[in-house]
Amino acid sequence: MIANDMSPSERLNAQVMHLLSGVSEHGDQHLAEVERDLVQMDVLLDEAIKKLCASFMAIHHAVDLQQEALDGLLGDGMQSPESVARIEALRGEIRQHVGAAVTGLQFQDMTSQLIGRMVQHLAGLRDVFGALDTSESVLPESNNEVLLATLSHISDRVGACCTERAGGVRSTVNQRHMDSGDIELF
Amino acid sequence: MMKTILAVDDSGSLRQMLSFSLKAAGYGVIEAVDGQDGLNKAKQHQVDLVLTDQNMPGMDGLSLIKALRGLKNYQSVPILMLTTESGDDIKAMGRAAGANGWLVKPFDPARLTEVVKKLIG
Repeated sequence: MIANDMSPSERLNAQVMHLLSGVSEHGDQHLAEVERDLVQMDVLLDEAIKKLCASFMAIHHAVDLQQEALDGLLGDGMQSPESVARIEALRGEIRQHVGAAVTGLQFQDMTSQLIGRMVQHLAGLRDVFGALDTSESVLPESNNEVLLATLSHISDRVGACCTERAGGVRSTVNQRHMDSGDIELF
Repeated sequence: MMKTILAVDDSGSLRQMLSFSLKAAGYGVIEAVDGQDGLNKAKQHQVDLVLTDQNMPGMDGLSLIKALRGLKNYQSVPILMLTTESGDDIKAMGRAAGANGWLVKPFDPARLTEVVKKLIG
């Protein structure tokens, strides 16, 4: 609270403390929201991939059975060569699409790693906002030295947060598309 | 006799796709959820090839490879790393640990089985 009967110096000190507390509180609130959304997104992606994989397996099984039935029909030799060729071509097409689907269905492995990394970075940023919090600090008196000492203390806390996470979280996913990756045999 | 592959990855969907692709190519597959689980299963079953992810909770892929190479019956078994990582440094570490190859995710099932076939038939 900044009272009207304060001296200009006291008002300045109080304003600085108020500003820092506000940035700390609101910054943390926004980051908490982002973190919650990211975690929810991860859960939804996890559930989506489970359903996609289950459906993919079921479709593949059904197509296998259908191809077996077609093989049975082709075995009687009553089909025209054109029909046989057409069915063989379709079989090749299905194989290609299955391969592409298997590659595409690996997206969640990468997205979950990226989300995990984002959440860790957010935690680091929330620590920094926490270090800015001045709500428990005693309002400095009109002496600017006290304000400077308080700001220096806050700066040390922020520095400590940054040092703690200096190594950061190593990036493990650099893929920018879902084409299959390189293969190297040693 | 059917060749068996140990697939180690903490991602359930990735294990499912690996298992699907390798079984379709005629291989038996044992799944493990992380490095420690992979090491335990490798001790329980003698497999013909190991395919492992790098970044997993607990024991990672590099540690698993080192542990496997320390076992007498896994000194010459092919081990492939299948990971999102593609940096030269980590590849060199994989090679030094005893990996026989490096596959960057996502994998294409036809190319994967081609490599596996080349190594274990």
